[in-house]
Amino acid sequence: MKRLNRCPSFFLAAALIAAWSTVGAAAPIDDLVKGAKQEGTIEFYAPSTLTPQGAQAVGAAFNKKYGLNIKLQYSPSGNMTRDIGKVVGLGATGVPPEWDLMVVTDAHHATLWVKKMHQQFDYKSIGADAKAVQYDNGSVSFANQFVLPAYNKKIVSAKDAPKSWDDLLNPKWKGKMGVSSATHHMARLAAGPWGEEKTTNFVKALTKQELILGRLGEIYNRLLLGEIEVAVSVSDSELKTEKNKNAPVVFAEGVTPLIAPAYHAGVPKNAAHPKVAHLMAVFLTTPEAQKIWEKYAGQSSAFIPGTSAYKYVQNKQVVYMSQDQAEMIDRLSREYGKIFGFSGL
Amino acid sequence: MKAEANLGALPRVIDSKPSGLGLFAGGLTALLIIMVGAPLLMVVLMSLRTGFPGEGGPLTLANFIAVYSSPGTYKVLLNTLLFALGSVLVTIAFAVPLVWLLMRTDLPLKGTIYVLMTVGILIPVFLRTIAWILLLSPRIGLVNQWAIQLFGLDHPLVSLYNIPGMAFIQGVSFVPSAFFMLAAAYGTMDPSLEEAAYTSGVSKFQTFLRINVPITWPAIAGVMVYLFMSAIAVFEVPAIIGFPARILVLSALIFTSTNPPTGLPDYGLAGAYGAVMLVAGLTLAYFYVRLVHHGRKYTVITGRGYRPRQISLGRWKWAALAFVALYLSMEVFIPFLVLLWASLLPHLQLPSAEALAQVSLDNYATIFDFVDALPFINTAILMLAVPTGTMVLSVLVSWIVVRTQISFRGSLDTVAFLPHAIPSILLAVGLGYLGLAYRNFFPVYGTIAIIAIAHMITWIAYGTRTTNAVMIQVHRELEEAGKVAGASTSRVLGRIVLPLVASGIFNSWIWISMLSYREVTMALALGTRKNLVISTIVWQFWGNGWVPQVSALGVLLVLFAMVVVGLLKIGFSRLGEFGSGH
Repeated sequence: MKRLNRCPSFFLAAALIAAWSTVGAAAPIDDLVKGAKQEGTIEFYAPSTLTPQGAQAVGAAFNKKYGLNIKLQYSPSGNMTRDIGKVVGLGATGVPPEWDLMVVTDAHHATLWVKKMHQQFDYKSIGADAKAVQYDNGSVSFANQFVLPAYNKKIVSAKDAPKSWDDLLNPKWKGKMGVSSATHHMARLAAGPWGEEKTTNFVKALTKQELILGRLGEIYNRLLLGEIEVAVSVSDSELKTEKNKNAPVVFAEGVTPLIAPAYHAGVPKNAAHPKVAHLMAVFLTTPEAQKIWEKYAGQSSAFIPGTSAYKYVQNKQVVYMSQDQAEMIDRLSREYGKIFGFSGL
Repeated sequence: MKAEANLGALPRVIDSKPSGLGLFAGGLTALLIIMVGAPLLMVVLMSLRTGFPGEGGPLTLANFIAVYSSPGTYKVLLNTLLFALGSVLVTIAFAVPLVWLLMRTDLPLKGTIYVLMTVGILIPVFLRTIAWILLLSPRIGLVNQWAIQLFGLDHPLVSLYNIPGMAFIQGVSFVPSAFFMLAAAYGTMDPSLEEAAYTSGVSKFQTFLRINVPITWPAIAGVMVYLFMSAIAVFEVPAIIGFPARILVLSALIFTSTNPPTGLPDYGLAGAYGAVMLVAGLTLAYFYVRLVHHGRKYTVITGRGYRPRQISLGRWKWAALAFVALYLSMEVFIPFLVLLWASLLPHLQLPSAEALAQVSLDNYATIFDFVDALPFINTAILMLAVPTGTMVLSVLVSWIVVRTQISFRGSLDTVAFLPHAIPSILLAVGLGYLGLAYRNFFPVYGTIAIIAIAHMITWIAYGTRTTNAVMIQVHRELEEAGKVAGASTSRVLGRIVLPLVASGIFNSWIWISMLSYREVTMALALGTRKNLVISTIVWQFWGNGWVPQVSALGVLLVLFAMVVVGLLKIGFSRLGEFGSGH
């Protein structure tokens, strides 16, 4: 987020405060730890790229830090938009959400915020940096994804790969390109540097390319297989998970601007185990959690000097999202979903 | 199908007694009406409301206007029609010759083929579809790559990203169901015309086309209608093959209306889409009933213990085996090999020397890091509870319909058959709406119970058809003897009728258990974190990009299924032909 950019060391501060809080026994966190102990479990919704092993590593480090024995039930996200929609739908009917803590992108938390579905909490009181706390105390930002067009390097040479977003409109990609249901990627461009009109025209032009549709994981699989040669936008989550296995999918580096969704941890309203969830949300900003997250999910904060994300964004035009763009991104994500053909009408 | 039509000539066995039996029959009828009617009512209600379940608000036609004023809807309807028709034709093209070969000829290896067909049912359609992508994708499909290399083509030979491609994949996956449904008709077919044809020197193939097919036509037509109704409700193939290429069918629209890839759920739209599906289902059910009744005119079932002579295939034996092998390759072998291949790799890729160098068992070693015990426990619950509940209800319904003179027994039979007309996706969405909007009265949303209820409702029609059929075959003398000896009605049912129909019930129990195991449409529509089952895990893994892991899981499940099915086949062979419950 732009605001976060102005204070690049907030995670360090948060980490120090969090570390101090366990030693100094500040009352709010003690109460929370005590409450968490009573709750005993957490339904943890997080990106599938974290993997079950990564989730369990997060759980183990969390328990170690706070002297707890919380059982962490990990739900890997298959489609964040759909699951956020589900939480909103259940919330409207008064049914508690399935998950206690949802780690989804800032655009998805925007939907919860617009629908007033966050269980607000004073995260600052337990050590979170004020600038990491977003959506009116609804979520805590802790890592950044990067999103760019991607291609299968076995089929497309680096020379032929897209060099700009507009290159995706080249007729040579017709029928060879896929787009995921993560339509917030495009909506971020609309709310940011491109403006709504240009982005909407771009999205409409993309549909003439006979795009293959799917969820992010599906699109990535089809790219891996070579069923499609190019994906309109893929997050580095997919790429980093597979990187160690020599997968042939790579970013179209050089395409600018670079989209940088942030992962936020937030507690949906009426969650069954809110205390564990609030504590976990702040824990994710600590150095030990950051290390685990980067190891398994591949992300770190773009605002902490020295992290791989920080290094990656240097000298790049990066699109971050801010809270004042939430409603627009929420609206355009749905609209672009319809234009691409993800919904029937 | 009203069993009473068969019973007109039967003497009265048990009198209608309003004080006991009548009340019980009334209660059972009421229970079924609630089970079937409540979700349907919800579909109607949600089609007339906007907003989320439980929000209330005035009734409105806005959803219908939105849906039916959109030209896209009519394209979807056409797609659905073509997809369903195509699927049925593909199924019949394989199932009828297969059933003839296995039921009427001396084809070798029948036992093995039965087991393999049953195993085929247990391979999730999702996984098979992924295998077909690897074979027939226009860009990467092995068949296309070989064809281009062999014939120097400049374009793919075939593509599965179209309605015929979807229909082919779906049709092949329906074959085992159609096979078992037709097996009874072919197994008990009067062989006299067939034998007369052979005596007259007519070839086996001509006899098959001119005698066997026409004489079993009512059964085939009935199966076609049944499959058509299933095809308009299935979700897997339209989701994996159709949706990415924007080929939308009704089931996919209903699913995505309540589980949207972008935006928020819109139950009203789902209800409006579902209305047309419901009308289609009821219309088809009407024709199905008529066909089944019409089929009775062709009744050719022989006396008890009669075994029609098996036709010697002679030198055609090998051609027949090749045909069976072709089918089994598509249904079992190729999908299994693709699964096996994918399970040994770090990420999905086509066969190559480079890929071969990466082969390992790592995914097997880590599979249980990706999936905990809950989906297995939930699946086991479904596989035990659904067939048990369905068959208990079916036996009770059939006993009243077939063995009593209760005045409204025909209505009870009709109510039990009604779920056959309700597309499963619609039933699930209706139940989900009920669970959300009226959770205080129906507190099962998000539990495995709601999926079990949906499955039971769906298969009660099948269960009662089976139990009706087996009860009709049981002679009444023993029951009458029991009554004369002073046994109570319940004792007669429990000690005399049930043991006599145990074989048929067991077969149906196994069949419903397998259907419940592999069912994904309703499980997905009603799925939450707490009621995950194996079939929904497969879908989730595919969406997450965990194809190697889900392939490893698939291989283990298929191997497990082969062992279980083989053992059941051997162990219970005395109880009747396994899986031939129809």
